Amino acid sequence: MKAVSERARAIASKFGFLEYMVVRYHEIFGDWSEVTELLEAFEKPLVKAIRINTLRFKSVGEVLERLEKLGYELSKIPWDRSSYIVVRAGRVSLGATHEFLLGGYYLYRGVASLIPPLALSPSKLDRVLDSAAAPGGKTTHLAQLMDNEGLIVATDISRERFRAFRTNLERMGVENVVAIRVDSRRIPEIFGEYFTKSLLDAPCTGEGIIQLDPSRKTKTSFEDLVRAHKKQVELLMATIRATAPGGRVVYSTCSIAPEENEFTIAEVLESLSNVRVVRTSTAVDFEPGVTEYFGVELPEQLKLCGRTYPHKHGFEGFFVCVLEKEMK
Amino acid sequence: MRTRKRDEVKCTLGGNEVLSHISRLYGAEATEAVKGYTPMYCSGSFTEVYLVKPQLVEAVEAVLRSGRIPYFAGMYCGRLRSAKPEFIPSHVLVERIYEFLGHPIRAVKAIEQGIKVILYGRDLLAESVASCFEPVELGEVVSVIGPDGYVYAIGLSTTSSCEEIAKLRKKDVVVRSVFDLGWYLRGGTVPREAKYKL
Repeated sequence: MKAVSERARAIASKFGFLEYMVVRYHEIFGDWSEVTELLEAFEKPLVKAIRINTLRFKSVGEVLERLEKLGYELSKIPWDRSSYIVVRAGRVSLGATHEFLLGGYYLYRGVASLIPPLALSPSKLDRVLDSAAAPGGKTTHLAQLMDNEGLIVATDISRERFRAFRTNLERMGVENVVAIRVDSRRIPEIFGEYFTKSLLDAPCTGEGIIQLDPSRKTKTSFEDLVRAHKKQVELLMATIRATAPGGRVVYSTCSIAPEENEFTIAEVLESLSNVRVVRTSTAVDFEPGVTEYFGVELPEQLKLCGRTYPHKHGFEGFFVCVLEKEMK
Repeated sequence: MRTRKRDEVKCTLGGNEVLSHISRLYGAEATEAVKGYTPMYCSGSFTEVYLVKPQLVEAVEAVLRSGRIPYFAGMYCGRLRSAKPEFIPSHVLVERIYEFLGHPIRAVKAIEQGIKVILYGRDLLAESVASCFEPVELGEVVSVIGPDGYVYAIGLSTTSSCEEIAKLRKKDVVVRSVFDLGWYLRGGTVPREAKYKL
């Protein structure tokens, strides 16, 4: 234990992290060299991505052609049919082109945010709940996957974020959304078990996106993690309660902390006997969920959840898990 | 005059007021472009209108029953006012109507330089007009279309016909901007209201 502590202290000091975080990464990977690879990857900038919006432009090709004329070089993301990595920037900033203002694309600071809507895989017939939805990257993605049909009820509590959310819905030509500014934990009171598919991209500490905000290396205490976990459990319980029997729930965070991910799912599984984890099926090659952590054994089914790491996947650290609610 | 707070906004589903404005501005045929949608009116210091698809109505009703209001529902249709212009359509609605009709009306097509200027919230000048589509009425809404055919702004006309535009000097204002897509970068909703006057 002393050796672990000394090594952790040295690595934490080198990369500017809190020591307890590095100890946890060693617990996840069981290998110091991999911990170092992870921390080195956190030092590299994230690649930007765009999702071309077929709700406003009839063809992906039209937007690509217009951006290429502005000097952009884009590379297709293999696991999503309408999204591209920005290889080379053009003459006009991506947030200010005519194509952006016309709703031709949504701009992402990293590609992992594309995963939850793909994991939920909604159809035109679904009634979808999108909890903690603002500023709307996932909501507009869901609307695109549903071809503006079906229903999405999108909720968020933040007034500031809601302004940006409304702007994005309008700009992107979304027509199948009812947006409500409400604490997502109140949704079952309003709708009961109404939704066939639900998405909770939960508020988190952001331990997977340290590339975007290096202050996260030191600003999250263990007590903060516990607080985040408690809120995530409450939000997930409410999301499941609002989902119809037989329905699916996707839980995701931009954090690699097991406390915010597997432990959240495990607590919910312990409370609700009618929910189980099913495999996350997207074309992303996920790492499995953590099932053993500091001597605590978690349910085996958590292996079906998916994790991404910057040193393995080349983008943010992310967690996604698909839950299924049993038929009554 | 008392300014209403956002908390005092009330929303109701149903009613044909907005359809009569669409018909008045773009012709009876244009209302077919939004057939099957239910209007939702949200009134505070001004009235915002949304067009709600049938499969959204049940959810909107549930929200209203709970004593809350939807912040956004369906397609943003535009704003109703008590003074002229009585209806300011959204650019999304106008594009929908043009697509349905197969051609623009109440519009001017601008050259690229004019689009660049109007996206900064500035007015469109005569020198930037490439073509004009009747009817155009003094003080009424008119769309600004880019060379690519997309609607970039909604404004108020300073002339009574397309013919008058040809007689203006280069620097004369043709369209006083009310909303342009650059607003998505600049933000804000209330300040827009002050611009609805000529």
